[in-house]
Amino acid sequence: MDSDSSRRTFLGVCLGGLGVIAAAAVSWPLFRYLAPRSGSDAAGKVVIPDADVREGEAKFFEFAGSAAVLVRKRGGDIVAYSAVCTHLGCIVQWEKDKQDFLCPCHAGHYSVDGTVTAGPPPKPLKKLPFSVAGGNITVG
Amino acid sequence: MTLIKKIVDWIDVRVGIREVTEKELTGYLLPRNINAWYSMGSILLFAFALQVVTGMLLLIYYVPDADKAFKSVTSIMNDAPYGWLIRMCHAVGSNMMVLVLLLHMLSVLFMGSYKKPRELNWVTGFVLFTMVQGISLTGYLLPWSQLSFWATTVATNSASAIPVVGQYLVEFLRGSPLVGPPTLGRFFALHVAVIPAGIAALIGAHLFFLKRTGVSTPPFGQEDSTNQWQGDSYRYEGHPGGIPFFPNFALEDLRSVAIYMACFLAVVFFDPYLFFTRDSFIPANPFVTPAHIKPEWYFLANYQTLKIFPNELIGLSLQGAAMTFLALLPFIDRGRERHPLKRPLFLVCSIGGVLLWIGLSIWGHLS
Amino acid sequence: MIYCLNAMNLRARLCVFMMLALVPFLLPSVLCAEETAEPVCIQCHSKMPEKYSQPVTLWRGSIHAENGIFCNGCHGGDPKDAANAMSPARGFLGAPKEPAIPAFCGRCHVGVMKDYLASAHGRMLGKGGPTCVTCHGNHQVVKASLELINEKSCSRCHSFERARVIRAAMQETESTIVAIDQRINAFKKIGTDTEKLEKELFSVRNSFHTLFHNVNVELVKKESARIQADLKKIQVVLDRLDATYQRRKIAGAVVVSFMLLAALALHLLRKTFD
Repeated sequence: MDSDSSRRTFLGVCLGGLGVIAAAAVSWPLFRYLAPRSGSDAAGKVVIPDADVREGEAKFFEFAGSAAVLVRKRGGDIVAYSAVCTHLGCIVQWEKDKQDFLCPCHAGHYSVDGTVTAGPPPKPLKKLPFSVAGGNITVG
Repeated sequence: MTLIKKIVDWIDVRVGIREVTEKELTGYLLPRNINAWYSMGSILLFAFALQVVTGMLLLIYYVPDADKAFKSVTSIMNDAPYGWLIRMCHAVGSNMMVLVLLLHMLSVLFMGSYKKPRELNWVTGFVLFTMVQGISLTGYLLPWSQLSFWATTVATNSASAIPVVGQYLVEFLRGSPLVGPPTLGRFFALHVAVIPAGIAALIGAHLFFLKRTGVSTPPFGQEDSTNQWQGDSYRYEGHPGGIPFFPNFALEDLRSVAIYMACFLAVVFFDPYLFFTRDSFIPANPFVTPAHIKPEWYFLANYQTLKIFPNELIGLSLQGAAMTFLALLPFIDRGRERHPLKRPLFLVCSIGGVLLWIGLSIWGHLS
Repeated sequence: MIYCLNAMNLRARLCVFMMLALVPFLLPSVLCAEETAEPVCIQCHSKMPEKYSQPVTLWRGSIHAENGIFCNGCHGGDPKDAANAMSPARGFLGAPKEPAIPAFCGRCHVGVMKDYLASAHGRMLGKGGPTCVTCHGNHQVVKASLELINEKSCSRCHSFERARVIRAAMQETESTIVAIDQRINAFKKIGTDTEKLEKELFSVRNSFHTLFHNVNVELVKKESARIQADLKKIQVVLDRLDATYQRRKIAGAVVVSFMLLAALALHLLRKTFD
């Protein structure tokens, strides 16, 4: 009876310990899952001099690991898009004479506003946030 | 320890907690020859609780909109910290729950515990079974993948075989002629609110009947394994000289749950995609039907039955008849004998039925 | 029959009635109306003599069919109106004559057409040189691979030697691309968000394959280095994913062992109460 009782205490303590570990093992992922996430990648902004983007022309650069493009429309407005075609991922080209984007893979066409004008792309080009200050364009 | 005693005393003088503990836990006696199969119910309760908790957590990031659902699930799997763990626990858990439910049903069948006076227990259990099937079916659509979309299309289409109202029934189930955003809306409501509430209510009823009638005695190791119930008046079936629920059988229950969790977590961490196909990770496309859409394993027998008969209505009716037979089993099988080896007709029918179900499932998988 | 019914008890009678009640419902099954997205072209052409039905059969095994590009996608015409399906007024182009083939395919495959026209092959267009169809076929166009550059195909016009050189120059990069494709597929099957990776690989693969159409070995060798660098970037991401999944498996082993330990402790504790 006595050995039973001491064994019970020992096993009880063991199980108590296992219980504490289990509680911790469940609480940590739960906390991480529920905790608010830090905003989108803070780093990785790209700065391009204003003068590099001439009117009616496009400047391609790398942003967040993929190709991106800046265009200064006829009339002066600047637009920034991801240059990854929304169809299958090829990089679009800028057609200066037509002032639009053409994807060389399956002839997807996007207007200078990024909307699909012809071909298989399902969605418009993803817009990128940017700001203009002090002669520089900062994308991201 | 005196602090704990003081707290318990404080509660005891207000609600008589010690009396409750004595009655429901330490003084609640179970038959000496109780076996591990009697833990299946506890495992199911635990599994259901896990589904509810993981489901609630998924609700935080899941978006029930046809345009956003798939992306939200992808985000849970890839962006939310441990989101993959919660999602896979939920997905694997639903399959494990159905498996344990089938085992629970089989053990009750073989030990004859559905016989009088426990018919109501069986009936509530049967309704729980259909509700679990329903919650699995509705949950399947929510990720809005190719598999979700087309499996739901096939499943809801089977109702069209019902004469006169069939086609309307299909549209009513879907909320529109074809599976689409209205389907997602109603399936979401069913999966997250209606059916869980129903399951909780029926679990309550199921447990009430269990407690009120008393736990059955396993028919094994008994000279006389026949049902002794007279049916003249209500009597609680106690087990004098039996083992206390707490701590004895409670520990057995916990042990069974721990073993279940070991198996469950092994699947979650080593092969959770056992139940997934490539189409589970392609967003739903109403214009492209994938080549091999099949329902989950627990519906394969139903699926194959419908395929066998050229007339879908026959297939549907046969399944309806089988389910009705199962539901009314305690009223059809009125024999007093409970030991499986002393019920040859029952053994033949049940083993035959189980083999038929397994055979149809395998056939459904291979076809 | 009536005697039998009387002899059966209520239970059996109920069963028989249920079976009989099903009889009036043994109607022929209603086939659901199949909404076909295929153009009318296929309805006629698949039933015609082999000369006109073969294109349909060949097309069914093509990558165009896999991606929902139907007859009218290349040949124009009206895919829904059988009477006017082949009407020039509806844009029907018919089958292109040989010199018009590159422009025909190039309506979509713009980049490749440009490279081809600037190449030695393109300069021989209409003078016995190859067109798109020569190597890729016209209806059973499959996903491009290095297999298209082979002795049987290239030696139709000239010795295989120069083709062999280009193929050798492309082989290593091609194998890397195929291996990466398989890895991405394996990750996709386990719920990883592979959209960005798939797009990157497609872009690199395309820019690599289109290289061949210049049939310029020096150009291929020069660009291969750039392409290999792009592929390496993708491989780094895949390796990181591999490491993550490996960590999860180890965590799994720990967790399962923990549960078994708990089961053992509970079992032993249970035993002390006997």
